[in-house]
Amino acid sequence: MLGFIIRRLISAILVMFSISVLVFLIFFATPGVDPAARIAGRSASPAIIAQVRHAFGLDRPLPIRWALMMDHLFIKQDLSSYVNIGSRVVPQITQAAPVTLSLVAGAAVIWMVIGVTGGVIAAANRGKFIDPVIMFIGIAAVSVPAYWLGEVVNLITQGGLHHSIFAWVPPSGYVPITQSPGQWALHLIMPWLTLAALYAGIYARVLRAELVNALNEDYVRTARAKGLSERRILIRHALRCSLIPIVSLFGLDFGALIGGAALLTEVVFGLPGVGLLTYTSLQNLDLPVIMGAVMYGAFFVVLANAVVDIAYAFLDPRVRIA
Amino acid sequence: MSFATRAGVVRAVDGLSMSVGRGETVGIVGESGSGKSVSMYSILGLLRGPNVSIEGRVRFNGQDILGRPDRELRALRGKDIAMIFQDPMTALTPVYTVGWQIAEQIRQHTDLTKRQAHQRAIDLLAEVAIPDPSRRVNQYPHEFSGGMRQRAMIAMALSCEPSLLIADEPTTALDVTTQAQILELLAELQERRGSSIVLITHDMGVISEVADRVVVMYAGRPAEIGTRQEVIREARHPYTWGLLGAVPRLDSKRARLVTIPGNPISPLDVPPGCAFAPRCTYRHDRCSDRPPMRGTDHLDACWLDDAEKEQRRAEIEEAS
Amino acid sequence: MSDVILRVDNVTKNFSVRRPGRGGRSQIQAVGGVSFEIRRGETLGIVGESGCGKSTLARCIVQLLPVTSGTVEFNGSPLTGLSRRQLRPHRREMQLVFQDPFASLNPRRTVADIVAEPLRVHRFGTRSEIEARVRELFTLVGLDVNSLVRYPHEFSGGQRQRIGIARSLALNPQLVVADEPVSALDVSVQAQVLNLMAELQEKLGLTYLFIAHDLGVVRHVSDRVGVMYLGELVEMGPADPLYDAPLHPYTEALLSVAPELDDGRARTRERIVISGDVPDPADKPSGCAFHPRCPVAQDRCRIEKPSLIHAGDGRLVACHFPRRR
Repeated sequence: MLGFIIRRLISAILVMFSISVLVFLIFFATPGVDPAARIAGRSASPAIIAQVRHAFGLDRPLPIRWALMMDHLFIKQDLSSYVNIGSRVVPQITQAAPVTLSLVAGAAVIWMVIGVTGGVIAAANRGKFIDPVIMFIGIAAVSVPAYWLGEVVNLITQGGLHHSIFAWVPPSGYVPITQSPGQWALHLIMPWLTLAALYAGIYARVLRAELVNALNEDYVRTARAKGLSERRILIRHALRCSLIPIVSLFGLDFGALIGGAALLTEVVFGLPGVGLLTYTSLQNLDLPVIMGAVMYGAFFVVLANAVVDIAYAFLDPRVRIA
Repeated sequence: MSFATRAGVVRAVDGLSMSVGRGETVGIVGESGSGKSVSMYSILGLLRGPNVSIEGRVRFNGQDILGRPDRELRALRGKDIAMIFQDPMTALTPVYTVGWQIAEQIRQHTDLTKRQAHQRAIDLLAEVAIPDPSRRVNQYPHEFSGGMRQRAMIAMALSCEPSLLIADEPTTALDVTTQAQILELLAELQERRGSSIVLITHDMGVISEVADRVVVMYAGRPAEIGTRQEVIREARHPYTWGLLGAVPRLDSKRARLVTIPGNPISPLDVPPGCAFAPRCTYRHDRCSDRPPMRGTDHLDACWLDDAEKEQRRAEIEEAS
Repeated sequence: MSDVILRVDNVTKNFSVRRPGRGGRSQIQAVGGVSFEIRRGETLGIVGESGCGKSTLARCIVQLLPVTSGTVEFNGSPLTGLSRRQLRPHRREMQLVFQDPFASLNPRRTVADIVAEPLRVHRFGTRSEIEARVRELFTLVGLDVNSLVRYPHEFSGGQRQRIGIARSLALNPQLVVADEPVSALDVSVQAQVLNLMAELQEKLGLTYLFIAHDLGVVRHVSDRVGVMYLGELVEMGPADPLYDAPLHPYTEALLSVAPELDDGRARTRERIVISGDVPDPADKPSGCAFHPRCPVAQDRCRIEKPSLIHAGDGRLVACHFPRRR
């Protein structure tokens, strides 16, 4: 088991390394992209550009430039933006990360609770009225784009109804949890629900399908023959086995969202998270920030992948020895 | 115990009446779609859903059990009536240890503590001759071989000392040598505990080795019922003749196997009259009416009269 | 010997597998040093329990799997080591019939297409010639020619196996390797397919290598029988003496526990239920592979591996202490 975890982590590090090289090559070594010219500004003379190039080490061979970049990014942590000279990349990300983390973690709790409950209720009542109702709500939640749903939520809670039933909803923005946990939650409740809607829909549908399959398995027939109650069969046997694919799905979604995939929700609700940071740096072609944000995002996706694989080994004894 | 069932709009089982005595082994034999498993599942309430309906009467230890609420049937299942299934590969939940699954059943029906149930699981594994049971009890199903899994299933089935064990193709997925081990184990346990066994199988050879009485089923209906000797040596139904003749023998080589033309029919398209008539060599006018089960102890559903049956059977034996 | 159609000489097949827990890879010997010959027109049955390597052997013989060592000779010319192109003319002469008639037929093509495929691949002739041949094959295996345009799912298991047989016979092969051809079928249907195979053999002069786990079926079809255990042949010989008086303790045990119809004759054999499971092929016992389960094993069996030796009357046995009668 320990060997498996170590092997999995080593491969995760290798993937991270490859991503850093790939991103570096795309943004810093593609023909037509001259970082020196961007740093020097629009009307700089060739001499100044050359000077900048030397000062930033951009005239050295590619592998060295990659190493310098990584040194500045991870070890010295003093890589600074090319656009807003002086503002450093790492602090920007560490400021944005808690916002994204707060948003995604809260939403994840909500969608897991709603998704799993919905899936279990639908599967337990398959063939009855409630099953297609839950599944229809699920597909509706999946079909609605997050930014549209966000705008609608804003319109309702901040608009006409803001002075009546939604008076308790604060204006959009973010309050750190360290400052006021109550305000933190209050500010995030609408973004949480918006983000969770899509995933709750997906998870309920996937889990229902998994459960219905599981309920047709031979081991469920065995459990019935043992005289167990339907509830116990559903929860202890069918759900336990069906959760395995859900956990892997969750790990990947969670990793991707932390890594910046919650961009649209962040933009709509004005949350200064990593998604928003990536979005603006891409618009400005602010290469160091892009580099930093992409590396940060990749880190979480790769980490989530590794955690999922390791969790799998704990959940499914069959994987443990293979 | 006697029952007559009819399940669903499709009559998966139709007009089956049989009984199992204490300490007796009854074999139910038939090909795919013959309703041999469905009949047993339905009496235990293992077939559920709005599309399933069962008619008739099932008595267990003198009490009517058909149509009882699920709560009452649950108290019966796993305790007084236990089941083992064909594929031990998939019949155990993959994510729990074998011991956990045995203990789960024990705790469902008794007041034993977790620790006591675990100890009982170890004892049961030892009883079904699984070597090193105190280590094996903590292993997962995939760490067991096919034969050992079936032993574990048997251990689980026996955990609450059932008076009736229903074994659904318990050796079909196993090799010959493993099959012999499992059949021997079942016989041994039956002798020790005096429980009754209903053995569902497609294999006439297995039936012939272990059953006291035999029910031959075709298309959801009983074709012939009798003691093992009666059904195997003095079979009266043309379908039984076909089944017996189709089995290749170990002791002598026959030039050609007796075959039944056509394919086993699905309960979906049972013809009016005798279900076997379309494949039957001895079909005649009367077969357009459904034949009743006739006889006293040795029953069969065929319109041929006794003398003719005797003659036909002799002819077939002569030919092979 | 011109009447030998297939000669298998010391064929070994190893698979390399990742060993859980231990790290690295290790070799599993699925087939170990199997040698035999099949004469034209005969049926050789290979019988053994699951995991004994009988299916791997079949695949090695028809060159679907490369052998690790040893040679397979067909009609006097070696097949092992040939390129795909060099194999092609031999391929039409030997065909494989699979166990699962459900999985081995492409569900999206009509059965006429399926049977015609080998004809097209080997450029049998014009469209109408192929069509005529397909009709002929359908009649040969007892299928209704009106069902040519139907799809596999519209047929029953027995009919599907007939389609599989028709496909394998399309190119007039000399040798048919049948891997568990009837084990997925109901008894009554199984008997039909076995009878069909016997008829076809008579009519077309086919040679069969018939692989199955069912002892009764193997005896019924075979002239000679080979018994495999853990990748090796432990006994081989003409069917009747082998079944009536097995020499190897494994064969004896296997036959003694095979369920038989109780037809009034006294059982001739005492039941010998051997204990335990077949060992892991990756962890083969020393000496004779059967010794841990053998009722008559002695010290010698643990150390020295018995080789397959002649025991008279065309029989071969790999045992230090063969049964005598």
